[in-house]
Amino acid sequence: MQMKFPGTCIVCKKKIEVNEIGLWAKGIGVKHQACAEVLELRCLVCGGSAGCPQCEFRADCDLTKVSQLCICKKCNDTNDAFMSYQKALTKKFPILNLKTMD
Amino acid sequence: MMWSEKYRPKNLLDMVGNEEVRESFVDWLGKWIKGSKPILLVGPPGIGKTTLATLCARQFGYDLIGLNASDVRSKQRIQDVLGPVLGNASVLGKAMIFVDEVDGIHGRSDYGGVETLVDILKEPTVPIVLAANSDRTDKMKSIKKATKTIQLRPIPPRLLRLYLETILKKEGASLGIGTILKLVIQSRGDIRSMLNSAQALVTGFEPQTEKSFVTMDVEESVNAFFKAKSVDEARAILYSLRIDPREKIDAFYSSVITSELAKEDLQKMLEVISEADMIYGKIIRNQEWRLLRYLDSILLGLYKEGTAARYSQFNLSWPLLNRLRWDGKAIRGLALSLAKKMHVSRSDFATYYFPFLLFCTKNKSLDLGLDESYNEILQKEMALLK
Repeated sequence: MQMKFPGTCIVCKKKIEVNEIGLWAKGIGVKHQACAEVLELRCLVCGGSAGCPQCEFRADCDLTKVSQLCICKKCNDTNDAFMSYQKALTKKFPILNLKTMD
Repeated sequence: MMWSEKYRPKNLLDMVGNEEVRESFVDWLGKWIKGSKPILLVGPPGIGKTTLATLCARQFGYDLIGLNASDVRSKQRIQDVLGPVLGNASVLGKAMIFVDEVDGIHGRSDYGGVETLVDILKEPTVPIVLAANSDRTDKMKSIKKATKTIQLRPIPPRLLRLYLETILKKEGASLGIGTILKLVIQSRGDIRSMLNSAQALVTGFEPQTEKSFVTMDVEESVNAFFKAKSVDEARAILYSLRIDPREKIDAFYSSVITSELAKEDLQKMLEVISEADMIYGKIIRNQEWRLLRYLDSILLGLYKEGTAARYSQFNLSWPLLNRLRWDGKAIRGLALSLAKKMHVSRSDFATYYFPFLLFCTKNKSLDLGLDESYNEILQKEMALLK
């Protein structure tokens, strides 16, 4: 909804100005549209969502603080998941595939 | 060998997490020219700051010159170590400076360190990389101004699990799924601590999971350390000895000082203990508990294959302790009776009068007329007179 009054986002604690779009609920507060979106990590291997809501570590993984690329359950359950991770890493970050100079 | 060392990444692709950070670091080092702003790597312990700098230096052919937290990083020391590198960059080849735990530079021993470092950061002639666990303290402000900050984040638990399972597979070891999840969660993104705990569980050294951290008592551990057949075995024993750091240093001190060792070995070992004692003092003074992880690697310097050192609880030898206990009792009794005769305190008598009385008794110029029960102790004490 378009804000009639200024408020403070309950997620990021920043101001929401009048006429900005915010999500408001009685007794809970207001948050930015962007802050209301469910935060999810990306899977480095397949490029899709890492499936954080179903992750076995969801209670212990602070999505706002951790490194933003992870691995989804499907890619993790393959035979050589770490090799797939490294292959995907080489493909998406070719700069990391350096040759040692010694 | 510790898994955290054995599986230390050999190249940047072996690392996990912080992919974009690694990319921007490589990009910075690849494009580095004289005058480029130094880099400040900030992130919690055990996520690969040092590994990233070391690997990149190797892969770009730089010689890494480092100052870590166990070094004194005073103005003088920084100038001594880094001065020649900065002044003769071309003569000394491709050098890269790495200063670890830069947020730990302060206090009396590191006096003037930050200011000197900031001066160097302003005019870099070689790539300079700094690492810190936090950049939020006041003393980091001046360093942050002179550097480009790269923030490393904790590694997502599922990636940690993948990494741990890969290592367990390579080691041919297995752990229950519950234990793996527990290890991953307890590590809080710290790969090194996760691997150490996993190794502890797999190899039988005490586990981080349930009640106690100690499998051997102090005596067994110290003796096993000195009898260890390799540095790796000694390191593992040292790591498994989870007691208060003060007690750990004291246990090694009392053991070393009471063992019959060659003068050179004793000197070397006392220097190691002194270094350990200094870093512990620094930890307590500044409450920099993260420096504690360096204590074991310092104490590892005490290891020498085939050394005769053995555990001793007390820092005095047994013969001396026995003499203090039994002869001390007799001397106290003697001092009490003679002090009364001479109208002085027992303490004054024992300190000032007793040595002269012993001389007089030895020269037979004085007969104290003492009870015969004191003869034995008098003979012993007179025998010690020079």
